[in-house]
Amino acid sequence: MSAGGAPGDVGRVSLRGIVKRHGTVTALHGVDLDIEPGEFFALLGPSGSGKTTTLRILAGLEPLSSGRVLLDGSDVTDREPGERDVAMVFQSYALYPHMTVYDNIAFPLRMVATPAVDADRAVREAAALVHIDHLLARRPGQLSGGQQQRCALARAIVRKPRLFLLDEPLSNLDAKLRLETRVELRKLQRALGVTTVYVTHDQEEAMTIADRVAVFMEGRVAQVGRPQDIFAKPASAVVAGFIGSPPMNLLPAEVRAGALRVVGADLRLNRPLGADGLVTLGVRPAALRIAPTGIPARVYLIEDLGDTTIVDLDVGGQIVKLRTDQRPDVREGDNVHVAFAECHLFERDSGARRGE
Amino acid sequence: MSASNLVSARRLRTALLVAVAALLLAVWAFPVIWALLTSFKTERDVLAYPPTVIFEPTLSNYRDVMFGSASLLPNLLSSTIVAGVSTLLTLLFAVPAAYALARLDLPGKRASGFYVLATQMLPPVGLIIPYYLMLQKIGGLDTYGGLIVIYLTFSLPFAIWLMVSYFEDIPREMEEAALLDRAGRLRALWYVILPQVRGGIAVTTIFVFLNAWNEFLFAVVLGGNRVRPVTVAMFNFISVEQTLWAKLAAGAMLAMAPVILLGLLAQRHIVKGLTVGAVKGGGRT
Repeated sequence: MSAGGAPGDVGRVSLRGIVKRHGTVTALHGVDLDIEPGEFFALLGPSGSGKTTTLRILAGLEPLSSGRVLLDGSDVTDREPGERDVAMVFQSYALYPHMTVYDNIAFPLRMVATPAVDADRAVREAAALVHIDHLLARRPGQLSGGQQQRCALARAIVRKPRLFLLDEPLSNLDAKLRLETRVELRKLQRALGVTTVYVTHDQEEAMTIADRVAVFMEGRVAQVGRPQDIFAKPASAVVAGFIGSPPMNLLPAEVRAGALRVVGADLRLNRPLGADGLVTLGVRPAALRIAPTGIPARVYLIEDLGDTTIVDLDVGGQIVKLRTDQRPDVREGDNVHVAFAECHLFERDSGARRGE
Repeated sequence: MSASNLVSARRLRTALLVAVAALLLAVWAFPVIWALLTSFKTERDVLAYPPTVIFEPTLSNYRDVMFGSASLLPNLLSSTIVAGVSTLLTLLFAVPAAYALARLDLPGKRASGFYVLATQMLPPVGLIIPYYLMLQKIGGLDTYGGLIVIYLTFSLPFAIWLMVSYFEDIPREMEEAALLDRAGRLRALWYVILPQVRGGIAVTTIFVFLNAWNEFLFAVVLGGNRVRPVTVAMFNFISVEQTLWAKLAAGAMLAMAPVILLGLLAQRHIVKGLTVGAVKGGGRT
């Protein structure tokens, strides 16, 4: 899957029925995941969805209530974190403040009594890879946020582990640096070919950086797949409402006698609607347009982003977002109609996707 | 309000603060300075009325309390052994105990915190008779071991309670990172955590040592001829017939010296903000 591929194709991860309970609260309801060697795999979800807990269970930092963790086919469920040959970058970086950058990076090597000469070479190589080789004598407190992040990255790289675990590594960087580092991180991962599990709540980050994404919702994996597949065919209404910026608009609707009834308008669509019943209509902001006929709406707010415009529309008391490259000729307060080029249908009660 | 008004208001505030600080300092420093002066006076000068500020200084008091028949040097040694050993033992047990309380999910952890503090709430005078009887039973009266064990009963809970807060200030991710870096718990503690609580250990050392060094009640009751710390020995300068103020003052100066020295030495280690910049939100230094 990746360009390089780790030597011997190591770094296969399998999670089998992972359940995690905190007292009476269940954080994870049986998570199953398979991650291929060399893959850049993102765990995406809102906060509290269980993505970080899953990563920590993979690292061995969190005990699990039931289930198995397999690395390269061997069961590591009961192994200590240090025995799993995985490296982690924490959201807070967790650099050792009393050590220099050099000693921070060298620490994992010293813990396994690496000969000084080899360790020195490895530290300098890792530091050069993330461009902090000129900062080796500093202490973490003397580094900028971006440099601290790189130091944490170097400490993970230096051991050549079979697995990188990254817990929201970019969330403490400012917006510009975040975009730059995202690209660099992807390149670095390709070059090293090490399987990487990446936790983020930022769907755009996950979609642009990962080979595959697992979308977490309330302690369950709601969907696994390539970013473009998840975007094109979200498996459920919650996933649809989470992916995309702005995310998909979701409106209550009803299928009746071959027509779709939305906010008082009966729409005839050239796609199969399925059986009669209550559904949730999903429309991407970019698929919406202002039209002579369609669903009645009222222009609520116009957000001009320069190259695109987002029009917030009041549709039956609910705000719906429309995105367009051309600024539409409407003003706030206007009564208009909207139509859409394509749509998604989900069952109202279960949230499951309706087939086309 | 005009700018000049603001400036003068600020000046007034500063002046007031300085005045209050000076007053507090005077209240604290007066007895110390008085004792320092007294230690260089003859007994006759001490009793002069009105008190003399200008006098002919003498070292005879220091000579007497160090090399005379009532030399305090053996008692200083006694104090050093009792305070030193009990401080050492306290740290040896308190540091790992505090780490465990701060980090591990032990059953009864919450309750233990209360019991630790509860020992501090008991007035020592209520314990003195049971302690006396217990030590008498096991032959521990007037022994270093006996007095040190008694000191541990109050220094250990206090030190644990103090150290727990220092350990809790260290983010958990610090040791998790060390665990993933293959350090194991012990080496994570030794290489990653302990260096970051150095300040806390210094503060705890000073508090525990000071308490033991200054302790009088237990020492006077549970000690004796062999184990007689300087606090007890100085008491001999106060008798029914007279109080040897100058010797008492010289003894007090001698007793204070090591404590002040320790404070100055440890000051260097009590560095704040050692962890600044290591975790998110930490500003740059």
